[in-house]
Amino acid sequence: MRSLINDVIEAPANSTIGGNVKDYKVDIDVRWCSGCGGYSILAQSQRVMASLGIPREKFVFISGIGCSSRFPYYINVYGMHTMHGRALPIASGLKVARPDLSIWVATGDGDSLSIGGNHFIHTARRNVDLNVLMFNNAIYGMTKGQYSPTSLKGQLTKSSPLGVLDDPFNPAALAIGAGASFVARCYDRDPQMMQKIFERAAKHVGFAFVEVYTNCVIFNDGAFDLFTKKETRKEHTVELQHGKPLVFGNNDDKGVKLDGVTPVVVSLNDGSHSIDDLLVYNENDTSLAFIMANMTYNSNLPRPMGVFQVLSRQSYNQRVVEQLKYYESLPGANDLDKLLLGEDSWEIE
Amino acid sequence: MGKKLLMKGNEALAEAMILAGCDAYFGYPITPQSEVLEYLAIHATKRTGMVVLQAESEVSAINMIYGAAGAGKRVMTTSSSPGVSLMQEGISYMAGAEIPCLLANVNRGGPGLGTIQPAQGDYFQSVKGGGHGDYRLLVLAPYSVQEMVDFVKLGFELAEKYRNPVMLLADGAIGQMMEKVELFPQQERIDRKFPWATTGKPKNGERRFITSLHFESELFEKVNIRLQEKYKKMEEEEVRYQTTNIEDAEYIFTGFGLGSRICAKAMQLGREKGYKIGLVRPQTLFPFPKNIYAELAPKIKGILDVEMNAGQMVEDVRLAVEGKTRVEFYGRMGGMIASPEEILDHFEKKFIK
Repeated sequence: MRSLINDVIEAPANSTIGGNVKDYKVDIDVRWCSGCGGYSILAQSQRVMASLGIPREKFVFISGIGCSSRFPYYINVYGMHTMHGRALPIASGLKVARPDLSIWVATGDGDSLSIGGNHFIHTARRNVDLNVLMFNNAIYGMTKGQYSPTSLKGQLTKSSPLGVLDDPFNPAALAIGAGASFVARCYDRDPQMMQKIFERAAKHVGFAFVEVYTNCVIFNDGAFDLFTKKETRKEHTVELQHGKPLVFGNNDDKGVKLDGVTPVVVSLNDGSHSIDDLLVYNENDTSLAFIMANMTYNSNLPRPMGVFQVLSRQSYNQRVVEQLKYYESLPGANDLDKLLLGEDSWEIE
Repeated sequence: MGKKLLMKGNEALAEAMILAGCDAYFGYPITPQSEVLEYLAIHATKRTGMVVLQAESEVSAINMIYGAAGAGKRVMTTSSSPGVSLMQEGISYMAGAEIPCLLANVNRGGPGLGTIQPAQGDYFQSVKGGGHGDYRLLVLAPYSVQEMVDFVKLGFELAEKYRNPVMLLADGAIGQMMEKVELFPQQERIDRKFPWATTGKPKNGERRFITSLHFESELFEKVNIRLQEKYKKMEEEEVRYQTTNIEDAEYIFTGFGLGSRICAKAMQLGREKGYKIGLVRPQTLFPFPKNIYAELAPKIKGILDVEMNAGQMVEDVRLAVEGKTRVEFYGRMGGMIASPEEILDHFEKKFIK
């Protein structure tokens, strides 16, 4: 049976595949503060989208509320600017209705982890095929500087002049715990890593979650400097690369090895350890991913960047199709007309 | 007499909360009222030991209110339109369970995300019941920074008197503007010893239990009847409004909050041109001061209702006058505020020309 929706989905693309980066730019002022990390995320998204070989009209960007959520205005694809915290259910609804679309969500630490925390874990659990870019600036920027669920304990903000009492969420650990099938972290100052990760997220089938450390120049300036500035990042971050040992440090002179299930930093200089002692990363191992995610906020360990985990799980929309196929294959299926229009209705005994 | 200060509406509201001996505030940032949370975060805990908590959402905030108010504490939350929409479930439950609390909506333009600019489009939501079921909020409409202060004090008293949530319906302009304000003296935070509050089972005392669930329809109807009797009592005893120049008035301007304030200026301009205009300004939107409109209706040539919405309170004005005088409406939406001149112009078009 054909439906209108099939006609829409199968209609030939009326633009050249993908297009150029400039096709993704819009002719309006981007209303982020000068120096906001959002500009870099926008530029990398535009580059990656143009390169994916997907027709531009198949892209949708959906957002909630917050500075991050102004994103859909700034990229020339279909978009929805929706409710605070609700971008994920809206994107889920769209994805199950139009599985042919490449659906991206722009969200922030407040939008996705505070008011949208419930939707976040359930969308991850369901493995809806979405690409979620979470701009983590660890502050509420749009309402001018109150603390967010990723603000640090003790942090002084407008709504915590005596210091934040809460412990912060660990977004990667939360996503892994909720069953997100793709989990990664990158930061605004490294466009190459961002592009690489966005591309992998786009190609991943299932819920792809990318946390991006995003500097808020006005209300939380420098929050991630240690991990993102050229001078300090090599010493304080480690890039997770599938099949490669965890080496870091200014002169690649340090590494992370597992002592049981506890990650420890070792020196490659003092003769005590060699590169063969280090943990060789496996992004398909969720236990390992969880251990890596929990290195976050541990000041004795480097902050992991890159892809934490990639799991091969059917997406929600794939399961919908499979379930329909199963029931259609049962005897007597596909006979709704006969049931409704037949002379006899069913018998109640 | 209390201290006189120059204060922003939202900050005056927050200050009044501290002075009223409020035990706790639960809120979530939203423009144009985030200053309430910020002001309390700086001042409240240090001065009175009041709890100030930034919740993870408005849904969470209103349910924290339910929990703390259920323990008999004096509690308040504030938000702006989209956030207040999120709170409606909790408000209905609290009205059903007869739990007193004070809420404030610093109204911005809707529907949807709308705008952060001031509006009065939440009249229906506040007055007619934004949540489910037959319930009423007592709704106070401040038209000045002074009333932001006065109505916090009054609001807590009314909430506790009637065991009912009270809504302070302000708007973005009242919240953001600065005016001279006189504060009331600090009230102690005290244990109010409400006989219904869940404060732990005393020895030999009865177990207290808060719910809005009733399985037996016969009994639940009785609960509903009792609630309706309570709302009727509010209508008999709690109506508040102000009038200006009504003695010789041939026409009445009316509105609430900021709308009424612009009406007052428009009335003055009209009087200068020789039109006998008076002003009726409801301070309580529920209970609605219908009697004053009913009394004036046969004596006047018409009413012009001015609101920052598409016409909401005007429905209650029309119900009140029962067709005995003409009621016209002038409204601006989307965060726009009418000028006194355009109100007078509209008045002349409708009633004079």
